[in-house]
Amino acid sequence: MSSWLDYTINGLIVGNVYALVAVGLALIFGVSRLINFAQGSIYLVGAYIGWVAVVQLHTPLPLTIIVVAVAAALVGLIIERFGLRPLQNSVRIAPLLATIGISFVLDQLVMLTFSPNPRALPSQLPDVRFQIGGGTIGPLDLLIAGVGITSALLLFVFLRYSKLGWAIRATAQDRDAAMQMGVDVNRVNQAVFGIAAALGGVSGLLVGMYYNQIDTAMSLQATLKGVVAEVVGGAGNVPGAVIGSLLLGLVESYGVAVFGTSYRNLFAFLLLVVVLVLRPNGLFASARQAPPEPLTGTFIAPSRPVRIPRWALLVATGIFAVLPLLPVSFYVLQTLINAWLLGMLALSLTLVAGTIGQVSLGHAALLAIGAYTSALLSLTFSVPVGLAIIGGGLMSAALGTALISPSFRLRGHYVSIATLAIGEIVSLVILNWESVTRGPIGISGIPPLSLAGYELVSPISIYWFSFIVMVVLALLQGRLLGSHLGRSFRAIRDDDIAARAYGLSLNRYKSLAFIFGGFAAGVSGGIAAHLYSYINHETFNTQQSILALTVVILGGLGNVVGAIVGAVALVGLPEVFRIAAEYRILIYGIVLLLLVRFRPQGLLGTM
Amino acid sequence: MTNSPPDALLALTNVNTFYGQAQVHFDLSISVPRGHIVCLLGGNASGKSTTMKIILGLVKPRSGDVTFDGASLLGLSTPQIVRRGIASVPEARRLFADMSVRENILMGAFVRNDREAIAQDLDKMLTLFPKLGQRLSQRAGSLSGGEQQMVAMARALMSRPRMIVMDEPTMGLSPLYVDRVLELIRTINQEGVSVFMVEQNASLALEIAHEAYVLQTGKIVLSGSARALKDDPRIRDAYLGGSEAA
Repeated sequence: MSSWLDYTINGLIVGNVYALVAVGLALIFGVSRLINFAQGSIYLVGAYIGWVAVVQLHTPLPLTIIVVAVAAALVGLIIERFGLRPLQNSVRIAPLLATIGISFVLDQLVMLTFSPNPRALPSQLPDVRFQIGGGTIGPLDLLIAGVGITSALLLFVFLRYSKLGWAIRATAQDRDAAMQMGVDVNRVNQAVFGIAAALGGVSGLLVGMYYNQIDTAMSLQATLKGVVAEVVGGAGNVPGAVIGSLLLGLVESYGVAVFGTSYRNLFAFLLLVVVLVLRPNGLFASARQAPPEPLTGTFIAPSRPVRIPRWALLVATGIFAVLPLLPVSFYVLQTLINAWLLGMLALSLTLVAGTIGQVSLGHAALLAIGAYTSALLSLTFSVPVGLAIIGGGLMSAALGTALISPSFRLRGHYVSIATLAIGEIVSLVILNWESVTRGPIGISGIPPLSLAGYELVSPISIYWFSFIVMVVLALLQGRLLGSHLGRSFRAIRDDDIAARAYGLSLNRYKSLAFIFGGFAAGVSGGIAAHLYSYINHETFNTQQSILALTVVILGGLGNVVGAIVGAVALVGLPEVFRIAAEYRILIYGIVLLLLVRFRPQGLLGTM
Repeated sequence: MTNSPPDALLALTNVNTFYGQAQVHFDLSISVPRGHIVCLLGGNASGKSTTMKIILGLVKPRSGDVTFDGASLLGLSTPQIVRRGIASVPEARRLFADMSVRENILMGAFVRNDREAIAQDLDKMLTLFPKLGQRLSQRAGSLSGGEQQMVAMARALMSRPRMIVMDEPTMGLSPLYVDRVLELIRTINQEGVSVFMVEQNASLALEIAHEAYVLQTGKIVLSGSARALKDDPRIRDAYLGGSEAA
């Protein structure tokens, strides 16, 4: 049995690996106030380049590390030059969304090249363990510790004594003033992305060797862990990121020691949420000071929404309503049912992200809550399916709002981090709370959709059911936006300080938005559960959260009709063009990138 | 377009600037002769700070030209403009708060690579600003406003500029430091550095300037030698928002 010392060593080693990711995130955040969601993808790329080097080219270990660092740095430079530099004068949310798109593209490219199956990545080191005190340590542990400490020292010397290092520090503190000293900010960005990517890539390699396994799911996990460590240490604070990483490693390791492996991530995200709520500027910030400038306002691309005449909307609704009566294939109906379900989720997200400006990256959690509630109500308590779905919507509204409410005072990118973490927490609770959710086995045999005792089994009836529910939700949301409530939402989005000065209670309005949005998403999840008849903790994942965000941006943030148009476009177009399933996520990533670059206000404009 | 006089080191010619729909500058023309101190006066929202940003390339005008030593600055980025020989003392000083005073001053020499000469210039700054000697390893953010202004000026001089542009160098300083700063600007100028400064405090600025311009809602309403302007009642009108024809 492992000793406490073993858990401590393990925690510190894993912490070292996180530190390599987190330091890069901190550097990038310091210089450009951007949370780089593509950092984990670079880590993934690093791991796979390492695999090619070790398994196919048989490079010796030092050469492997160099190859990975250089190749990853190149990827970082390309991301900076082509993905982010064109967005320099864009709205603040644009680079964040671009890094999400880039991470989708990179992950999918790796998956398409190497297949999603895990691969072994041998460490090339002798498999011996040395006894120290009550624990053991192996050569790979020492290597990881060595690489971590060496990188930290090199980085310290570089930032402290080199001219470029000074430029990086100066830019992080005052970008305009640095430019007035003659600092080329583009070069600084390049340097920072190159360094961050090299460290991230090497981190991926080391983790792959540590577990002797690499797979494409590593990417998101690495980004999440890096972000947790960075925020715990204080965003943009490089030494803080190292300490945050070690702390995270230890917390996870002790959590695993006490509760078991499946709790590892839960502890990481709980740590994040606690830090975000209690000390949003990190453990080492001197005070809970507010950010120097409002992070909302220019966050969303301002535009004049496209006016769609009422008759056109009526005609479109009519066409889609009578569509099942026309000779269309089952396949078309199936596709559109998916679009309507996604449309409900998009309605929810466009309200939360667009209208009130809280860009949620964990919206799939609301689907999951709705789905599980509705499934369990109908299975365990024999509640009629129609009522169970409404129950799912109410539960999503209540629980979702309760979970997010501690984060209401966060702004901008921090909201995105918090919602991402809450999304992960929900999924992990579902995985671990076996007595209620049946854990990893999932729930099967969920009764099919039914209404007033009649089972809806034909595609036509399911189509009508989901279409009507979506239209009703859309109409309600349209009414909401036209009322004074909608105006208050937008006021909070555009300037929360001014809104507060006019007596608006931010918490109350944010709650109302999440309650309404949570209900729509929960209903969507509930219907999905009865359609699929089987769900588990992975049915509603971060990929869907990002897909929903892409839909919402495609339609125009805050735009009700846009959300539905976006859903139909993103679900329908891949079908129309017969794009194979494995390329779809890649396409979504590319769509997101192109949108952010060329039409940040979406097809129909933001509202 | 009028041609700038041949002795002008810096010249803005018929500059029109917009923020979105709103026009900030209307046919703004200003010239800074070699070796002179030129002062741009004006109240709030007159477009003074935007003029600084235009010179430094932080904002691009929609029309007109900005030349330095005869060559246009318009296509250049801020770092490139700095390399041409313009240094800046930004509004509210904008020091790198978490870096030491020494690092801040040396950041001013970022565009230079002559290590020994930089070290000599650092010593020179310490004779010019003797108070900074004891503060070198302190965090810049921990200094008082007046001391920070000294650091900002030393930092600007470290690039060995031909011209320094200053945005309200006396703002927020105690009266003692105001006099000290004005004296230093004069000293710097006597060593051959041209100065373009933006000021709200007209009477102070006119004491050290050679020429001055008065900016009101984006238009130059008054200009001439500082001596002549000092007693001009229209200066007061411009500040109090009186009509241009007054």
